[in-house]
Amino acid sequence: MKVGFFVGCNTAFNRPDLEQAVRYAFPALGVELDDLEGQSCCPTWGTLPSIDLVGWCALAARNYALAEEKDLDMVTVCGSCYGSLAETRHKMLTHPQIKAQVNEILKDTTGKEFRGTSNIRHAVYYLHKELGPEKVSEAVKHRLNGLTIAAQPGCHALWPSEVYADPEKDTFHPQVLEQMCAALGAEAPYYSRLTDCCGMGGMRSTDMDKSFKLVLTKLLSMKEEINPDLIVTSCSSCLIQFDTAQEFLQKDRLLDFELPVLHYVQLLALCLGADPQQVTGLAKTGVDRVVNRILGG
Amino acid sequence: MSNPEQAQVINLSAAEMEFAQEIAELGGEEIFKCIQCGKCAAACPKVLAGFPFFNKRTIQAILIGAKETMLDDSSIWACQSCNRCTEVCPRKVRPFEIMLAMRRAAVREFAIPTLAIEGLKSLYDVGHAVYLREAWQSRNKVGLPEKPPSVLASPPALTEVQAIMQKTALSELGIIPMGESGVTEVCSR
Repeated sequence: MKVGFFVGCNTAFNRPDLEQAVRYAFPALGVELDDLEGQSCCPTWGTLPSIDLVGWCALAARNYALAEEKDLDMVTVCGSCYGSLAETRHKMLTHPQIKAQVNEILKDTTGKEFRGTSNIRHAVYYLHKELGPEKVSEAVKHRLNGLTIAAQPGCHALWPSEVYADPEKDTFHPQVLEQMCAALGAEAPYYSRLTDCCGMGGMRSTDMDKSFKLVLTKLLSMKEEINPDLIVTSCSSCLIQFDTAQEFLQKDRLLDFELPVLHYVQLLALCLGADPQQVTGLAKTGVDRVVNRILGG
Repeated sequence: MSNPEQAQVINLSAAEMEFAQEIAELGGEEIFKCIQCGKCAAACPKVLAGFPFFNKRTIQAILIGAKETMLDDSSIWACQSCNRCTEVCPRKVRPFEIMLAMRRAAVREFAIPTLAIEGLKSLYDVGHAVYLREAWQSRNKVGLPEKPPSVLASPPALTEVQAIMQKTALSELGIIPMGESGVTEVCSR
């Protein structure tokens, strides 16, 4: 099995420990990664998508062309990359005139062509579908017996379901992240704000107080309802929001506890035997206690 | 519109359709299907967070031609692009596409937040909308090479990205510097 690794911006520059986790976990599970050299930003919402519809699709199409040349699907651990690449692909395939305009731009500027033969896959959903929870469970060296996880699936893993290769059966009651946590021996119980937005993204750059209101609501819901040992996200933006917002909220005396945060692929890499410094070393929240418990157990 | 008493009266039958038409052409093609049922608003994170112009109200403002009102408000930039609205809309209006189209219309009136300009500049200069100059340090710390195998490590790939961006509305709008000289400068490094 082989896929192109679409690394994106936030993972490469903000949380390269997550990039390292992907580079460890996928080969450890028998999935070879191709670097898709020369890939660019997806591009994300506040930039080209907010300027020019066809231009947005063209930049995304250039990334697809890199994967199509190698006959590979792409995987990402970032919700925004997943959303932007899936939505542009859907637009190009459902609007022939957009696809034609895009290919004209690509031909003039790069000599490349978007055909629609490769897809964008979400890392967690890719592993769930291609390997399945059982195989992942068999491969792990360290099991998470008794660990309680607050799952944070993230918006872009779920909606709009029609554009995704691997949609949830019921997007407002997602199951995949919970099942993948269970495969590692943890429990990820339901809590009432499970599918709420974390507040990252355009909202955080527009109004930080309003953005933190959302993440605070989620943190309180998690703590009160399931008292988790760890928050596990399937999106790099959710990871950054939960990992960085708690300190601000504590300083403002709005939060009197801290919940450590990891992306699912970081947790998976740990369970598969990766070096904790390399795959979780940039976390701002105190993940050491959880890491020690995992490696000790 | 300088008299606030006048501003409160909107004659719906005299509403200007040009604005809605502009939004339709900029990607919000399903806007005329909206019946203002409010399902999108019930699902929207911006409602929870307390922004005045969320999906339903944005669509309403566009349909009654209230362009100035929309240009004066930053709510459209707080949209999380989460697509809950598009998922639940019973009329397939695709409200998120209207949000993006509204941003495109605002940009054409040069109503664009500084952070969006910075993101565009970064996208053009290095091929990544989010880029931290000191990232090589944390990459080294976790055992990765200083640059990811992206445009950042490939001048020819960056030239392609910039050439594509020059073919977009960005070059007519002149929001960010993107002349030929900029391309040469980056490529010669």
